[in-house]
Amino acid sequence: MRISKKVDALAPSGIRAFFDLVLGMKDVISLGVGEPDFVTPWHVREAAIQSLESGFTSYTSNKGMIELRRAITTFLKNRHGLSYDPEEETLITVGVSEALDLAMRAIMNPGDKILIPEPSYVAYGPVVELAGGRPVFLPTTFETGFKLTPKQIESAITKGVKGILLNYPSNPTGSSYNRKELEAIAKVIKRHNLIVISDELYDELTYDFQHTPLAALPDMKQRVIYLNGFSKSYAMTGFRIGYACGPSDIIAAMTKIHQYTMLCASITAQMAAIEALKSGGKDIAVMKKEYLRRRDFIVDGLNKIGLECYKPQGAFYVFPSIKSTGETSMSFAKNLLEQQKVALVPGVAFGRFCQDHVRISYASSYENLKEAISRIEKYLKKK
Amino acid sequence: MRKTANNIAAAVRALIEVSITPQKDVGFDNIARRIYEFPEVKSCYLVSGGYDLLVVVEGDNIQTVADFVAAKLSSMPNVRQTATHFLLKKYKEEGQIFKQAKDEKRQNISY
Repeated sequence: MRISKKVDALAPSGIRAFFDLVLGMKDVISLGVGEPDFVTPWHVREAAIQSLESGFTSYTSNKGMIELRRAITTFLKNRHGLSYDPEEETLITVGVSEALDLAMRAIMNPGDKILIPEPSYVAYGPVVELAGGRPVFLPTTFETGFKLTPKQIESAITKGVKGILLNYPSNPTGSSYNRKELEAIAKVIKRHNLIVISDELYDELTYDFQHTPLAALPDMKQRVIYLNGFSKSYAMTGFRIGYACGPSDIIAAMTKIHQYTMLCASITAQMAAIEALKSGGKDIAVMKKEYLRRRDFIVDGLNKIGLECYKPQGAFYVFPSIKSTGETSMSFAKNLLEQQKVALVPGVAFGRFCQDHVRISYASSYENLKEAISRIEKYLKKK
Repeated sequence: MRKTANNIAAAVRALIEVSITPQKDVGFDNIARRIYEFPEVKSCYLVSGGYDLLVVVEGDNIQTVADFVAAKLSSMPNVRQTATHFLLKKYKEEGQIFKQAKDEKRQNISY
């Protein structure tokens, strides 16, 4: 067999066929898009265009442009009181996706276990497996607001557990932890000396409280690989630009892999990111206000039509329950698509225990959301 | 003006440049008032440049607006000249960007 055993063993996406069905359809109202419906702010795009016009087309330092690393560390210091050395503790990556992959490959030895809350972003398990590790999924439920509890983490720590992967605000649930909740989780992490990979990509889209980076808590910085980027807060998904900040030994290990595999992130994207950090604060505020309006509308709307929906604290997703319909998430999604031309993502894509849920993205216009709710209601009434 | 069942969908808007002979000792205000008191006139501005008033008129259709301009606006005393520009497409208004269906560049579905 020509394909590596490791890759062959990776479970293929269970909903690939459904994705293909949606991609092939026209005139669908899609609530299944995992990226902002806003376009990158013009001043950021202009910075990218200008950088090309000025001839910035070569490699940058493996670690990323020092101007960008300094802009990031200054931003984190001002925003969160979090201090990182731009030289030794910061790495620019090709999206947070690459940062995640590097983090896993840098720390995993064969068979090492990583705790991952479920439901979770689809790449987490496969990235751990590709790095030679073993993901251990911890189910979270509607009743706990899809959050891990310290007790749950504690009881999952067995021999071989090296670390835990947290993502907050979460894709697909939108849940986030406030400072108090993080402090309780941090106690367990410190007690067992775990490494944390903390994917905080949606941090600026936190609506109900001020986001706290886990690394900002006392005695946590040396345990946390902090991942963040520009895709969601600045609507720069296609630019493929992100970063990791962390202890110098881990960042050095990640850089070692990065320099051999990717070499550096795109210079155009890096220069756009510098502009985003410099002047993009107002843009985030505008987008956040709109997302909040939509969140409140969609949670209210779903509950009114009989799909119980927990109100999440961040990101642009809700994870309502479809238990009342008696359908599985895949059958619900397929039937809704075929009968009402509304697309959403079956919950089972994000966790084996999520058959009773679907993910709805509200990264879509208010008008689309209104129409979608109306069509979902029609679908439910016809059952 | 006869209202239609769906004003928003049926309404036609036009921007009209109005050149005026101002009244002695009074200026533009009286003439502007006579113009903006028409319910068809949604907005009325005194502007600098090659004409005097910019008037926004709304009607059921192109013919209604054209009739208004001919019968009510152009024939007014002190109105020297009008130039009517019909709105063909809205890109952005009062901070709201109008997205066209074919503007959607994202894939229909993604994680």
